[in-house]
Amino acid sequence: MEDKAKTLQREFLKVFEKLEVVLGWEPGYDSLHASPSFIRQVEDLNKLVWNPLCSQNLCNYLVKTLNASVREDGKKIGICVKGCDSRSLVALIQEKFVTRETLYIVGIPCEGTVNWHRLMRFEPSLKDVQKVTIQGQELVVETAQKTYRFPLQHVMEQRCLHCRYPNPIIYDLLVGEPITPHAGDDQAYGDVEKIEQYSLPDRLKFWEKEIDRCIRCYACRNACPLCVCRDSCIVETRTPKWLAQRCDLKEKFFYHMIHAMHLAGRCTECGECERVCPVEIPVTLIKKKLNQIVKELLDYEAGIDPQKQPPLLTFDPSEKGI
Amino acid sequence: MYEKIFIAQGELAAMLERLSKEMDVWVPVEMGDEKWGVRFLPYYRDNVVVLDRQSTIGPKNVLFPQVETLLRFRYQKDSQDPSKQRIDLKDRQEVSSALVFGARPCDVRGFFTFDHVFLNGRYKDPYYAQCREKTLFATLLCDTEDSACFCSSVDSGPGDREGSDLWMVPVDDGYVIEALNDKGRKLIPIMGKPATPEQIEKAQRIQEQVTAKRIGEYDLTRSAKDFTGRFEDMDYWRDMVSRCISCGICTFVCPTCYCFNITDESRDLEGERIRSWDSCMFYHYTLEASGHNPRPEKFERYRNRVGHKFSYFPDTYNGMISCCGCGRCIRSCPVFIDIRKIVHHLKEAVDAEN
Amino acid sequence: MPKIDSNPFLPELATIQDIIQETSNILTFRVVLNDEQKMREFSFQPGQVGQLSVFGVGESTFVINSPPTRKDYLQFSVMRTGEVTQRLHQLNIGDQIGVRAPLGNGFPVDKLKAHDILFIAGGIGMAPLRTLLLYMLDNREDYGDIMLIYGARSPEDLCYTYEFDEWRSGGVRLVLTVDREFPGWKERVGFVPTVLTEEAPSSYNCKAVTCGPPIMIKFVLIGLKRLDFEDHQIITTLEKRMKCGIGICGRCNIGTKYVCVDGPVFSYEELRQMVPEI
Repeated sequence: MEDKAKTLQREFLKVFEKLEVVLGWEPGYDSLHASPSFIRQVEDLNKLVWNPLCSQNLCNYLVKTLNASVREDGKKIGICVKGCDSRSLVALIQEKFVTRETLYIVGIPCEGTVNWHRLMRFEPSLKDVQKVTIQGQELVVETAQKTYRFPLQHVMEQRCLHCRYPNPIIYDLLVGEPITPHAGDDQAYGDVEKIEQYSLPDRLKFWEKEIDRCIRCYACRNACPLCVCRDSCIVETRTPKWLAQRCDLKEKFFYHMIHAMHLAGRCTECGECERVCPVEIPVTLIKKKLNQIVKELLDYEAGIDPQKQPPLLTFDPSEKGI
Repeated sequence: MYEKIFIAQGELAAMLERLSKEMDVWVPVEMGDEKWGVRFLPYYRDNVVVLDRQSTIGPKNVLFPQVETLLRFRYQKDSQDPSKQRIDLKDRQEVSSALVFGARPCDVRGFFTFDHVFLNGRYKDPYYAQCREKTLFATLLCDTEDSACFCSSVDSGPGDREGSDLWMVPVDDGYVIEALNDKGRKLIPIMGKPATPEQIEKAQRIQEQVTAKRIGEYDLTRSAKDFTGRFEDMDYWRDMVSRCISCGICTFVCPTCYCFNITDESRDLEGERIRSWDSCMFYHYTLEASGHNPRPEKFERYRNRVGHKFSYFPDTYNGMISCCGCGRCIRSCPVFIDIRKIVHHLKEAVDAEN
Repeated sequence: MPKIDSNPFLPELATIQDIIQETSNILTFRVVLNDEQKMREFSFQPGQVGQLSVFGVGESTFVINSPPTRKDYLQFSVMRTGEVTQRLHQLNIGDQIGVRAPLGNGFPVDKLKAHDILFIAGGIGMAPLRTLLLYMLDNREDYGDIMLIYGARSPEDLCYTYEFDEWRSGGVRLVLTVDREFPGWKERVGFVPTVLTEEAPSSYNCKAVTCGPPIMIKFVLIGLKRLDFEDHQIITTLEKRMKCGIGICGRCNIGTKYVCVDGPVFSYEELRQMVPEI
């Protein structure tokens, strides 16, 4: 069975002259990390990798860095997407930020990505790592000294534990066999429901403790593929000034509430916001809660059907109870 | 010669209790249950102090809080003439003594940059000066380096005692602690009992072993000219920086980054002028009121960051690099941009051209 | 020079004594420090700037528009552009503001002595040049011929029109221009760089001091080069977003230089040695 990385390299080579750039992943600063790769020269294609370390959602670059709504010279943007990433891509197409025709999409069914923090809790002394793979329900880490096996559910990203879409739902080429999701529809909001079992005072205490750590780095906002206001974001405008620079809980809550509200019904639960948070706040939960409400009220989930229009961007006079 | 004491791991909590009666004690604690990251917080009983790994965010906010009040103002009507207004303006607050316990050499080194900028320029920053004066550092010898660390590449190292007031070496199931100056010496009697000659000898050996290690394969201390030469090579910067998402994490977790914003936060007739952490990676950092922005693209902003740390700062301050090699920017970056490679490749590209 | 012991972030309270409407969006403020002794002892160089505070809104940087030789008040000309200037424009005579001054470097008045001086200003760019111009008029024998080319979009956009006669009688050759024809306008018509080329002043023993919008500066520099002005003969004053004004907050840097401390006055020779990031 061919290594998927080699397949990716081979397939992109075939169409490279029609592409302006290929977005993929390459090895990061050490063998436990991967970084996004912008490949513009054909000889760099052999940098492409595929493994459980490929966490980043590359769709984040489509609007903000590459302005993917138009391509003047007819060349396309090649992009690798996992299941969760493909939902973001569909959402961008739904909102017309990206034109399908400008993309050459390579979908890769994904068994999960590793959360480095959680892995370190298990085994902080991992050194000389040579290979990281998923085998069944285990993460297998081969080092020069020995092979480690970790239960997948203890080292995967939170988003993967509730993943219902491991197989890309939009692609020009699928690399790999479709796989079974980790979670069924009934488990989609298990993490939200867990918090809702707390009493209201306990819930407030929980969120105060988490949000208090926020340092307003705005990484969660910048990592979100659907956050496309770029440099005009309301939390940073000076005229008028909505948010104080103060670092009290009130301002931090204000920021997170605004961000979640602006993503209500648009968030595709790719989990990047939570992954990038340097102080490990479970920010995806807030957006998932709003998504749950949208699902119940309007029977809609973002990023599934490219033809559907997000209900919060339109209105239907026949809607009741709003 | 200063006395060396030994404190067992199990007695650490009691020692921190004693110290916190004399001053504010800042210790590294876990971010939360089942979380990996570590940050510095004021000590209180029940804190679990984490000394076996580097903190995610260093103790920068002990001397340079994320939000600090510079002035307080209040508009008042002039009692002699109600049509006139008066402004009541206050600065200064009292600052208490503090001890930063369990920092690492890289954290302490970050403050050298601050000292140059905040204390030794044409103007002295009184807020920082006061805090600096009243804060001591009990620094831990570092033997927990990982693949992102590179302190040796920037003229420091895991056994670098410079800038600390007390030095801790992990020995047996505890620490041998030594005062490095008079300020530190005052705390020794509260901290523990004299160390045995065996413990002192062990500590000495560990110190030698660790000091001999080289953490970080490159030498990044002579990159100023290479940077200037590559300043206008936009292809290079685009190549290196395309993956950046222009958040503020690298600057916020960096022990040497000191850029700040000044804003007035008021309600009705009173308020405060505060300074708060800002980041050169934000678009708004240099955005002028006219709408012009000298660094509109993220490549330009990242180029300025590299330039500031490895070129402008050493050019201004006798070769001192404004980077302590802690690796936090690499570890915490959402896309793992590696500043070591970017600076190192400046050299290689110039060599290739030659 | 400010004392090192004092808090450089603490402004002096000042009262607005007078407000002059220069144009539809530029007001000139004349302020007096509340502390009479500090006002008496206040000293500065032409070209130095001050940070004006509207407490509750923020601070903004303006050149001290009056010369050190005329110290009944401190003058600042303010164009309404952002949140602080907007609020400043709403203030009245008698209102209180904060002043942190003097900051930055000034024009090199000693090096300019015994030279002919060519001032080239556009719009609000006249503000810093007025300081130097009046200083030179108050020390007239130290300087040679003085010429000012001052242009704006329209006659209504020219500042300090009420002083033009004083400048002329002080010995300044005044060339005024606006971008296009206006009824009743009898002076020159054309962009400032064009008028500069038409006037073709001699570069011999001359120093050019210019300030204005970036696009004007760009073409003025080209024009001056064509007239054989060398880099060290051209001086300008830069604008940047500033916060602390004392070289600490990091934001106003161009390479190793901080505009608030090493500038805002730079010669073109100095600018050429800095990284191209204006």
